[in-house]
Amino acid sequence: MTRPRQILALGGGGFSMESGNALLDDHALALTGVDCPKVCFLPTASGDADHYIVRFYRAFPADRCQPSHISLFRRDGGAADLAAHLRAQDLVYVGGGSVISLLGTWSAHGIDGMLREAWEAGVVMAGLSAGSLCWFEHAMTAFHGASTAVRGMGFLPCSNAVHYDDKPERRAAYVAAIKDGLPAGYGTGDGAALHFVGTELAEVVTSREKARAYRVAPLGAEVTETELATRFLGAPLAVEPALAA
Amino acid sequence: MGGGGFTAARGDPALDELVLELTATPCPRICLLPTAGGDSEHQIRRFHETYGDRLCEPSHVSLFRLGRRPVPLREHLLAQDAIYVGGGSMVNLLAVWKAQGLDEILKQAWRQGIVLAGLSAGSMCWFEYGVTTSLGRPAPAPGLGFLPGSNSVHHDSEPARRPVYLEAVGAGAIPPGYAADDGAGLLFRGTSLHEVVTARENARAYEVTPRGERALTPRRLAPASNTAATIPAVAELRRLRLARLAD
Repeated sequence: MTRPRQILALGGGGFSMESGNALLDDHALALTGVDCPKVCFLPTASGDADHYIVRFYRAFPADRCQPSHISLFRRDGGAADLAAHLRAQDLVYVGGGSVISLLGTWSAHGIDGMLREAWEAGVVMAGLSAGSLCWFEHAMTAFHGASTAVRGMGFLPCSNAVHYDDKPERRAAYVAAIKDGLPAGYGTGDGAALHFVGTELAEVVTSREKARAYRVAPLGAEVTETELATRFLGAPLAVEPALAA
Repeated sequence: MGGGGFTAARGDPALDELVLELTATPCPRICLLPTAGGDSEHQIRRFHETYGDRLCEPSHVSLFRLGRRPVPLREHLLAQDAIYVGGGSMVNLLAVWKAQGLDEILKQAWRQGIVLAGLSAGSMCWFEYGVTTSLGRPAPAPGLGFLPGSNSVHHDSEPARRPVYLEAVGAGAIPPGYAADDGAGLLFRGTSLHEVVTARENARAYEVTPRGERALTPRRLAPASNTAATIPAVAELRRLRLARLAD
């Protein structure tokens, strides 16, 4: 059976940002279609922060999945081990932090190529913030300065901005960048996640009723921000079968 | 530094003190780059504990986690008297610096006379090559190349590096250079080795060429105290610092 390529790109949320609200993390697990999925956490963007790794294992306990993580600051295995481990997962979950440091480190270890291979083999890719930006061709980052566009890994041929609701200057910077020729894309708020199947947006899911995501695209000489339809994962109709049983 | 310094459990206050002395500034600004350790909170805390009570202005720059206030990287780093690079993964250090443009900022810092210091990965990064365990087993890896030649660290405490280093230099895979024990420092002025300094009785540094290794004569640094008691008016210093933070 061939599995579809899937990416769940969170504007913000999940165990990193929404303690007590596991809706987006549960959804990432559900997308694997596996009862007790293998989940590997990549905390690279945070510099493999210990407390972050601990929080991952609390949020993804062994009675719901088979959790593991890869640290690129304390490596003891070879590259072949890393590639094989990533390919064997059902879900790869990428944490937040600096997307520039994330991509620099991944490239030095060849993780970008390994992830592409895993994604093409149907391993679900998920992540928030830097862990969302990394999958796109272009990403807006505001680390140590004004918001600017950087190149991502380009699994998804469009652009992305995260935490799209809290800071007006972020929105303005994204709109201005697209006006200047950055390819169109998506602005995703905290609590909202873009679910891509292949390279097409399948739906926007949210962990909060007010979370929003926008399509941001040029229209003539202007740039339009179009609010996208969302599905609130907490609504009674959206209860996962496993939870309802 | 081959290892040791403020991140080591036992500490080498004489080496920490030397970094400040080399700036020849009464109250130097010293900035930690904890990149190689993934901006480890432990490393950052130890740095501030070590330098917090000395006559200096310590700060650190995180390239992974945003602090409460963003730091203008270039302006902040080029305003320092010393930049101290912590240990960790040399491969990650260089990859992240390159991605963030720090390689170029540090070159400018060095050219304008800012003292560059560091231990382990933070020592090897300045050379053309180091011997890193970033990818598992020890292996040569390229550095920034500000200093010609190569460098290997923890020469005494991590014996697996030594044969790899000697063999790589012997085979001509990497240029000759220097190996340093924990607690030993190689002091360069310009691109020439000025002296070897040590904070520990038996710590050594070696010149490594295709012919083998040769121990260099070190200067033993006078022991420095780790405690705040040696600095007069520490309380006043702390008050000033707190006042500045509150601004």
